[in-house]
Amino acid sequence: MIRLVVRKTAVLLASALAGSIVVFVLMRLLGGDVATVILGQGSTPEARDALRAELGLDRSWPEQYASWIGGLFRGDLGQSYAAGYDIFDEIVARLGLTLSLALISLAVSLLLGVIAGTYSALHSRDVRGGFVDVVAQLGIAIPPFWVGLLLISFVAVQLGWLPSGGYIPWSESVVGALRTLALPLVALSIALTGVFTRFVRSSMLDVLGEDYIRTAMAKGRTWRGAAIRHGVRNAAIPLVTVGTLQLGGLLAGTVVIESVFTLPGLGRMLMSAVTGREAIVVQSLAFVIILVILVLNFLLDIAYGLLDPRITDAEGAARA
Amino acid sequence: MHSRARRRWPVQLTVGAALVGVFVALGLVSLVWTPYDVESLDVAARLAPPGTDGHLLGTDRLGRDVLTQIMVGARNSLLVAVVSTTAALVPGVLVGLMTAASGRAVRETLSRATDVALALPGILIALVLATALGPGNATTMIAITAWFVPVMARVTIGPARQILAREFVEAARAGGRGTWFILMRHVLPNIGPVIIVQTSLLFASAILIEAALSYLGVGAQRPTTSWGMVFNEAQAVVGEAPSLVLIPGVIMVVTVLGFNLLGDGLRAVLDPRQTTKAVT
Repeated sequence: MIRLVVRKTAVLLASALAGSIVVFVLMRLLGGDVATVILGQGSTPEARDALRAELGLDRSWPEQYASWIGGLFRGDLGQSYAAGYDIFDEIVARLGLTLSLALISLAVSLLLGVIAGTYSALHSRDVRGGFVDVVAQLGIAIPPFWVGLLLISFVAVQLGWLPSGGYIPWSESVVGALRTLALPLVALSIALTGVFTRFVRSSMLDVLGEDYIRTAMAKGRTWRGAAIRHGVRNAAIPLVTVGTLQLGGLLAGTVVIESVFTLPGLGRMLMSAVTGREAIVVQSLAFVIILVILVLNFLLDIAYGLLDPRITDAEGAARA
Repeated sequence: MHSRARRRWPVQLTVGAALVGVFVALGLVSLVWTPYDVESLDVAARLAPPGTDGHLLGTDRLGRDVLTQIMVGARNSLLVAVVSTTAALVPGVLVGLMTAASGRAVRETLSRATDVALALPGILIALVLATALGPGNATTMIAITAWFVPVMARVTIGPARQILAREFVEAARAGGRGTWFILMRHVLPNIGPVIIVQTSLLFASAILIEAALSYLGVGAQRPTTSWGMVFNEAQAVVGEAPSLVLIPGVIMVVTVLGFNLLGDGLRAVLDPRQTTKAVT
């Protein structure tokens, strides 16, 4: 287990390093001239040079990279030139909301996926299983932002049950936070639940043919009891891997959903930075979002090791 | 379980092909005919409900015909999906084939690299690109392509390695054939089904990403019409006219579902061994 954690930590650090370099180089290659964006086309070359020197953009790439990453650790990523906020403080203030959305919808989708997928597999021969499968297939095709708009239209505006946007932080009111996050979470979780349901279903159908299910039945368990007691855990193990593959899509969905419900998270900050073409802000935000994905990936990998002890030795080495 | 898997013509394939057919037809017909001109505004008839005389699916807040917007939007989705998927197909498959044929060290490195690239959300790539290039259809297509290349490589590597381990590849090698020849003549035709299935699934992704980006305002810009834009403009009047969100959304979902079903159906027909694992 310790070996697994050490190895996965190394993978996490290496991926974070690679990710930061990719983002940095991309922004340098494609970001355009920041000074021109800020000062406009009509500015004098002298003024642009002066601004570049002020922002440290006249230094070499390695120097700029080092000061960016150093700033990340010191908590100093500079200022937004359009809105004037401190980039690091703003990210810290908004991180909680984005993490709440991502983590809760991941947990809810995994739970619902296991339940619905198991149900569908246990009833695979009759119409109930098929129905769940069709609903799951449909769910996968539904984009979160569209569900969000429908929920705003019907649940928020017409029925007036829940707010159509805005956010009340957890620290102010837990009920308020849940009320503001409920609709965004539903919107985010539908497609994800569909993916997990279909996966658990097919994985469970494989597991049901295994010898240990028959052994458990020979020892007196019912088929359903054996499947739930022994099958679910085995079917859930590969689900963790599927979960890691969905993280990127989940964070992307969060960015979009924050715009739909005007939630003040990282996604909205990213959108306004993109619209304002603030390359410096986008660079740090893109990296923070990648970091969130990598850390969640790391945690799921560790969970994988906890669920399946075999992973920690030989198989783990092959996988890493 | 088995009887269903072995049915020759899976129902998903029929339904998927029909739904995709409707989508493609909507887009293509819009090239020659739409109920109204795309840019024609009729403010007097704004927010007409579906079924209003002359406007089958109603009008939006500027009095534009919704059916026309959907048809022209379908054309744009089709364009973006075809261009970005095709552009990613060749480089993605080539990288996958070369990775599969490489020695252990290179293969592991490239596999990890595709994994890292896969972890990046396509929409994030598009947003980074949009900061530099500005919003637009081109930005959308470049971003989707950039994201699809590693996806394509990833699905190619596994099956290609399986084929490379088969006897007939061994025989070809013994016969003095080079790696490149083997990849093109023996491996590629054998993994064709996997690639076709994946292409269908990527079409669905491309349509969803395009819609999300143009909804956010970083995709296509007027005068181009896209599905995401229709949602963006409908959001302001969502309380008065929910059908402006509902109807185009149903058409989009049905289209995406169509490509997903088509992919599943094709897999059942072209790649029966995997069928028993994935579909039943």
